[in-house]
Amino acid sequence: MIAASLNAALGRAGLLLLLAASVFGAFAVLYGIRQRNPKLLKQGPIYAWLGFGGALLACVMMQRALITRDFSLAYIQQVGSADTPALYNFAAMWSSLEGSILLWVAVLAGFTGAVAWRFRKRTNDVLVGWALIVMFVISACFAMLSFGPADPFAAGAPGVTSGPGPNPLLQNHILVLFHPPILYLGYVGFAVPFAFAIAALVTGRLGEGWLLETRRWALFSWAFLTIGILLGGWWSYEVLGWSGVWAWDPVENASLLPWLTGTAYIHSVLVQERRGMLRVWNLSLLVATFALTILGTFLTRSGVINSVHAFGDGPVGPWLLTYFAITVAVSLALIAWRGDRLRSPGTIDSPISREGAFLANNVIFTVFAFVVLLGTVFPLLVEALQDRQTVVGAPYFDRLSTPIGLVLLFLMGVAPVLPWRKASTELLRDRLFWPAWIGAGALVVAVAVGATGWAPLVAFGLGGFAAGAALRQIVLATRRQGWRGFVGRTNGGMVVHLGVIVIGIALAASNSFTHSATLTLTQNEPVEWGGHTFELVSVDERINDAGSERVVAANVLLDDRQEYRPAVTTYLNIGQDVGTPSVRTGFTKDVYLTLGQGVAPGDTEATIRVFIKPMILWLWIGGAMMAIGTLLAAFPSGRKRNPLDPVSAPIGADQPSMQPSAEPATPAVPPGATEPAPEPETVQVRTT
Amino acid sequence: MNTKSLNRRLKGWMGWLALIFVVAAALTIGIASTTGPQTPEERIDAISKRVACPVCDGESVFESQNSASIAIRNQVGDLVAENDLGDDQIVAFIETRYGAQVLLVPRASGFDALVWVLPAVALVCGVAGLAVAFRRWRVQADGTLDPTDDDRALVEAALRDQRGSADTK
Repeated sequence: MIAASLNAALGRAGLLLLLAASVFGAFAVLYGIRQRNPKLLKQGPIYAWLGFGGALLACVMMQRALITRDFSLAYIQQVGSADTPALYNFAAMWSSLEGSILLWVAVLAGFTGAVAWRFRKRTNDVLVGWALIVMFVISACFAMLSFGPADPFAAGAPGVTSGPGPNPLLQNHILVLFHPPILYLGYVGFAVPFAFAIAALVTGRLGEGWLLETRRWALFSWAFLTIGILLGGWWSYEVLGWSGVWAWDPVENASLLPWLTGTAYIHSVLVQERRGMLRVWNLSLLVATFALTILGTFLTRSGVINSVHAFGDGPVGPWLLTYFAITVAVSLALIAWRGDRLRSPGTIDSPISREGAFLANNVIFTVFAFVVLLGTVFPLLVEALQDRQTVVGAPYFDRLSTPIGLVLLFLMGVAPVLPWRKASTELLRDRLFWPAWIGAGALVVAVAVGATGWAPLVAFGLGGFAAGAALRQIVLATRRQGWRGFVGRTNGGMVVHLGVIVIGIALAASNSFTHSATLTLTQNEPVEWGGHTFELVSVDERINDAGSERVVAANVLLDDRQEYRPAVTTYLNIGQDVGTPSVRTGFTKDVYLTLGQGVAPGDTEATIRVFIKPMILWLWIGGAMMAIGTLLAAFPSGRKRNPLDPVSAPIGADQPSMQPSAEPATPAVPPGATEPAPEPETVQVRTT
Repeated sequence: MNTKSLNRRLKGWMGWLALIFVVAAALTIGIASTTGPQTPEERIDAISKRVACPVCDGESVFESQNSASIAIRNQVGDLVAENDLGDDQIVAFIETRYGAQVLLVPRASGFDALVWVLPAVALVCGVAGLAVAFRRWRVQADGTLDPTDDDRALVEAALRDQRGSADTK
């Protein structure tokens, strides 16, 4: 009992410390800015680190409660079990609502601490001050959520001495350990550029300074979101037994939405960095990304939308909806208030230009996000307006996302060869020639290996085209700069593009050319199907040491080479059966086996389902390429291109040419205003 | 002849014409040889992906491992084995048995049609918005030769910011 009260008491104390540090931190920095008091401003980071310490303490106490199976806590009664293996017991922290909010809070506090650390020497800068205030406010909001309606340390019913453990699906694959924290790093990470955007609006320093400060933060958050989403797909493939990676489930959509707007942002931000344009648009995309994160959390954590992996109907719904409303209202009001300063002076000369391609990219990504959002909330609209139940499922999203994906592949082929300002047809004809032939080659190869159907074929052709354009950029850059041709934003970005293309092609192939069959196997009688032989060796049963899980598995000899064990695991404490697929992975195709229900050990006959899916492995390889590309893009490229130079100029040219002919035809505005002007490093604050 | 001029000659209209020919030929062959599902199993999969599991939350009958879903799957399997009905008719049959909420693809009529119409509207708005923006930029680039007072004020403000004066509050 003493131990029990210790976990709850210290855990709550940690959360209270975070809440208090966030609130006091926000007020201290705000007061410091108003009074121009550098001493107060210097305290900001200390509050941030205190808050992070509090969040860490809460997490440690939650882990301690899980490890010691402290069943006096309601949360442990819900997800704890004496039989859960240590690893999954560790991951049980985020296996239900309260704990996942705690993880969210901890990641947020970590980001606040990291921002404070990164900018600790610039506390006098009001932009940094306001960004910290915004981070503190968000931290306080989520700490309140964790302290109030989603309290992970709430006392449970007395007298309980055992629990069911986490959902069985969350305790049979190692990815459960990595997918949620990495996804949260991405989700929550977008709070940092959002905070700086709000700070820029409040201070009126709407130049490109805040964009440059948060470039890497946005990039890393985007990368974590990407990896988190892919790991989720991988988990689904390895665990759920329907052989797919993506089901357009509302929870999946909730993670895709900020990814879509975030992807649009990291592209269009380049236009602003270079030309000082699209200020309102970029702010809106950042606000949308952050707001969609909160909306997604609301949709999946409040029980308004049913989904296999939504977490019940907790009392957090109204809170999150309020946060969402406040985020949107405050951001829009600030943008409206600063409308005059957001007017950008330049013009975009031609749609056939790098800027034009980025704008087209943005329109497509925004429409994509709209489609996903509409499909996700449409059942809610129907229920609210017409009081009937509907489902908008995967076929709807598939049908609409296919053309969108193809257009995006096309844009990925054209955009990298386009110069800024405007392009001539001769230039396009010259630069697009080899990429187009690579696309034609990919198409011919696809037809030669037997691919059919217009959508996958067009996808393969456009994929080759886009890959050609990306490779062209990398080849030209490495020829000029050696290994440095791989690093920097443009070149790293092309590596990311290659990863995306690999994933796109793998998705097209695996969605279009999956074959499946149900085979009834009799012991020692090989069955041939789809170019493979399947032979049932035996059906056996294993019960784990704790006596909580019974695994009935069929040993299936595949192609006379290796045995695979599709299984059904029965969680005896809960009485739930969970199928576990067994997969042979290969570079060209996977063979995916699942075992039907109702098989008993010793049976000489078993029904298995077989899926033959091409190119699944390339989804994960593409993901790795995207991660590596992002790292390369974030790597400082050393010599900086002079923003006034033409794109074709060698980087680091000594003479910054002013290039009068290429200037936009707005002689009214001197170049200093159309190009991103460096902002002052700090704004001097006077001591009172 | 050096490689550069060969490269340039390839990139003339002949090269592009050859490209169009190759792409068209490959697409024709590929699309013409399209076959439907190869096993009854694959037809069952294709149909069951369009039907929602009636008791679980938003999963399709294809994904769900639930007993109700397995029942529907078996039913679809029987209908496929009989081979009387087309895919759409089988889905319609399942709908009459279980109600409209098992349809995973919203209908294109009544209120549900909005879910199909709105994305198209959004795309049209996006593209139109882009077209308007480009038009305005062109007019702006052509028309205004003299700086307006607004422009001067903007430049003034930007320069003030750059000098790092303490106006920014």
